[in-house]
Amino acid sequence: MIYLDCAATSLQKPACVRYAVCRAMEQMSSPGRGGYESAMLAADTVLDCRLALADLFCVRRPEQVIFTSSATHGLNIAIRSLLGPGDRVVVSGYEHNAVWRPLHGIGADIQVASSPLFEPDAAVEAFRRALPGAKAAVCTQVSNVFGYILPVERIAALCREYNVPLIVDASQGAGSLGLDFEKLGCAFAAMPGHKGLLGPQGTGVLLCREENAAPLFYGGTGSESRQADMPDFLPDRLEPGTHNVPGIAGLLEGVRWLQKKTCPALLYHERQLLDAFAGRLRTDGRVRLFRAPDCRLQAGVLSLQLEGVDCEQAASLLAERSVAVRAGLHCAPLAHRTAGTLEQGTVRFSFSPFNTLGEVNAAADAVLDILG
Amino acid sequence: MHYLLTFRSLTYAQRASRVLERAGVTGTVSRVPKAAATRGCAYCVIVAARHRERGLAVLKSAGLEPERVLLRHADGSLEAGQ
Repeated sequence: MIYLDCAATSLQKPACVRYAVCRAMEQMSSPGRGGYESAMLAADTVLDCRLALADLFCVRRPEQVIFTSSATHGLNIAIRSLLGPGDRVVVSGYEHNAVWRPLHGIGADIQVASSPLFEPDAAVEAFRRALPGAKAAVCTQVSNVFGYILPVERIAALCREYNVPLIVDASQGAGSLGLDFEKLGCAFAAMPGHKGLLGPQGTGVLLCREENAAPLFYGGTGSESRQADMPDFLPDRLEPGTHNVPGIAGLLEGVRWLQKKTCPALLYHERQLLDAFAGRLRTDGRVRLFRAPDCRLQAGVLSLQLEGVDCEQAASLLAERSVAVRAGLHCAPLAHRTAGTLEQGTVRFSFSPFNTLGEVNAAADAVLDILG
Repeated sequence: MHYLLTFRSLTYAQRASRVLERAGVTGTVSRVPKAAATRGCAYCVIVAARHRERGLAVLKSAGLEPERVLLRHADGSLEAGQ
């Protein structure tokens, strides 16, 4: 199988990730619940992972690195920490349902700072118009549908100017694009552990500036057990219950692997694959490619539509040819509405550090074969 | 005799232990004895009595000052250590 769906989850992981998960299952118990060897080994692994992530994302204190079960989990914490019913929030036109639904769920007044695809100046202007008076803003770093890299640094600067706390959804950028948490000055940044960071499913990370963030869950933390209230310090405040130690152990190895390879090198590789794939298809008038005019505006995700072929049908036909991609709305109807593809959806190809030029050429052959 | 440097969370105690280790001071992370854990479960770093001053100075410079410093006598009894 040629796996081109790493925007959903990275299937291929470095071998060290698998070994770390197995070792954790064999040797580690629960951190913060005892002083014996297996508990302390687990605690050391969890701290090592916090430190590695703090280093990767330029976070001042490792306590600000919160382990979650997913980016969605982290985004829910961030949104509920900053917003309540009726509060006005500004979002980009490319947000995932992991942002849209929690905002809708709490009854926030959602204002979409809409701007055309691959036009970062327009995105900045849309935020500039919408931000004054807003309670918070949310912006995805990279569109999960189109790979569009939004101008998060510029939007963060605007948020600082207007004193509006910003939540960054780094789900698609983490692992290939840099993110300097201190420099951005955002309130929160959420990301999954199982996509670009190459950890196992069930892992996520929330970078948290707010010491007093609102817990989503309440429970035991192994600290201040006599108190009925959750601890008022991080990370304990936001991490009740037993940690996913095998997941975190795997995530640690994924991050270490990334740090060795370096994110810019991995992004370069993914862009080369995207270029090669798009290059094979761009001359065929039956293929509509959503390709950035400037390659610096697109990460390793490419959407397309095939003339006369429904996107779900196209994905099924590709699966029959051993090419794994995702079709439809990609849990991001807002992004499709913004780009004008809500009715048809798209077929999404997303590339990982483990894909090869041979694979993307074979995938392009499969697309052309479907078109006949 | 040893000193117990107590912290509100395991994460802080671990970080303190590593900072001490880098400064050449051996500090072992351990749970705070029940009698001293006034707010419930907590963790501490145990250092030899001779390392008290240097250890506290290292932690202060790293922004990791302990909540409390307890002196543990040979018979296991505890008393305020500063």
